[in-house]
Amino acid sequence: MANSHLKYESKKLATWYFTFAAIIFGAQLLFGLVAAIQYVMPSFMFEVVDFSVARMIHINALVVWMVFAMFGSVYWLLPDETGIETVGVGIGKLLFWAFAAAIVVVVLVYLFIQVGPADETTIWFIHEGREYIEAPRWADFAIVVVALGFVANLYMTGIKGNRSGIVTVLMADMIAFSGLYLTGMFYTDNISMDQFWWWWVIHLWVEATWEVFVGALAAYGLITMIGAHRKVVEMWLWIEVAMLFGSGILGMGHHYFWIGTPEYWWEIGALFSALEPLPLVAMFIHVLYDWGKMQGQEDAKGLEQSVITNKPAFTWFILNAFGNFLGAGIWGFFHTLPQVNLYTHGTQFTSAHGHLAFFGAYATILIGMMYLGVQGKNGIKIMRHTKSSIWATSMIFGGVLGMTMALTIAGYADFIISRAQWGATWEGYFAGQSGVWYLQGMNWRLIMGVVTFIGFLFLVKDLLSTGRAAHHER
Amino acid sequence: MVGEILMTQDIHVDDFLTIFISSTLVLIFGGFYVGIYTAVKVNLLKKWTMPFGYIFWVLTAYCLYLMGSLMHVNDFTAKALVVAAIGLLLLPHAVYYMQDRVHEENEH
Repeated sequence: MANSHLKYESKKLATWYFTFAAIIFGAQLLFGLVAAIQYVMPSFMFEVVDFSVARMIHINALVVWMVFAMFGSVYWLLPDETGIETVGVGIGKLLFWAFAAAIVVVVLVYLFIQVGPADETTIWFIHEGREYIEAPRWADFAIVVVALGFVANLYMTGIKGNRSGIVTVLMADMIAFSGLYLTGMFYTDNISMDQFWWWWVIHLWVEATWEVFVGALAAYGLITMIGAHRKVVEMWLWIEVAMLFGSGILGMGHHYFWIGTPEYWWEIGALFSALEPLPLVAMFIHVLYDWGKMQGQEDAKGLEQSVITNKPAFTWFILNAFGNFLGAGIWGFFHTLPQVNLYTHGTQFTSAHGHLAFFGAYATILIGMMYLGVQGKNGIKIMRHTKSSIWATSMIFGGVLGMTMALTIAGYADFIISRAQWGATWEGYFAGQSGVWYLQGMNWRLIMGVVTFIGFLFLVKDLLSTGRAAHHER
Repeated sequence: MVGEILMTQDIHVDDFLTIFISSTLVLIFGGFYVGIYTAVKVNLLKKWTMPFGYIFWVLTAYCLYLMGSLMHVNDFTAKALVVAAIGLLLLPHAVYYMQDRVHEENEH
């Protein structure tokens, strides 16, 4: 499709990032399905794509597509916020191809070579074995180069153009986001030390820098989609930054309960984890408040029309506020205190939380950004839902919620039997894994996974075709 | 060792379901409290509904208490939960105050 309506190269680059992100999103779901089938039929694709490989691709693809969509989101909003073309956009395009090529090679290696000789060559060329960030070291260095280029472009553009509050927050956030990746790159043969630093990447990404990133995107979305006042939105963004970093950074303590770190992490983890839901509740109010306020002003003028200029994107933004509260808030708070986490950690409870939190907090808003991209690319003034967008939204959200419920029930049966009744013994583990509720939970997880995947197919169809639909206002 | 420092006694197997339901209700009731408060302030709900918001906060605080009691949390965690409950009570007031002031500055 021609980019005729995009006058900034930065926005064209953003659409490349969104497109590649959507492809990897599909891969994530596909290999998630393979792993879900293997829970029900353990011999499925045995010695072709074993569970360890399917799971590795599933969770690494998750991180990769989100990072691509996040980079794309920044390249999309930069010209709007700064008023100028992104500085170094040519280098940005080069880095995009380097990044995409590296990811393709890494995935092919995961898929066709799978394991190495368990020495230095494995770490350098196959994978590092750290969940979520298993890229081999050569790819680590490539990612660092790409991230540095991306951050340089963001900084140069922010310094040269109009540096709005949103851009300032992103400048601070993205340098932390990129810098934290370094802590997951070095090798140590002490598993406690390894996990200690690995959490610096995983936790400080998803419960600090990524959440702040989502706050910045929500601010941008509220301004562009419902015309919210910038001053109000940006003031609120700074409060969110303070609350998210204030509770999120030391909230990392809840990952340090049982990995061999000092006992004071129990107290630190308990206190800050108890506070972590507060900014999520606050973010939820913020979106509803601004929406209610802007719609109220429109209604007061006697104009019976919606203030929303992109309904599919705004739906995903609302789902983000709700999903973040639900997945990261409720499902996180379930088992965040050490007293109960003693029993639940490492069970399907964690998996339930992981699915809904990653989806609710990040996937939703990034899909929303993709719709903003489609709107801008096709020169649409007011973008409306299509049947496909409604099916996609309902099936993806319903599917992930269904998977979460199934995993929660399986996790409950799992930890009650294996931890509370059998005292975390070897026999207890297998007793927990063979319980009826656990097995039925896994069946339902697979069914809801299929629903999610069908929803994804609707999403792809809609993203590719909605730009040509006649019912949008141009 | 873990039991002595973290909990005064182990969690009873039958209490786990109540713990999870009450911890869910902490955020659901908390969400209702914050939602009603916000909706009243932006005139989406009538003013007389505000006391229901505060009733939901009381329910939130009770669920936190119930959850903490059944977990047999130590003194420090109990204090952390009290701080969280007070934080939730004050949060919408502070947020609304700031939002409203900025709106006023913008619109007048």
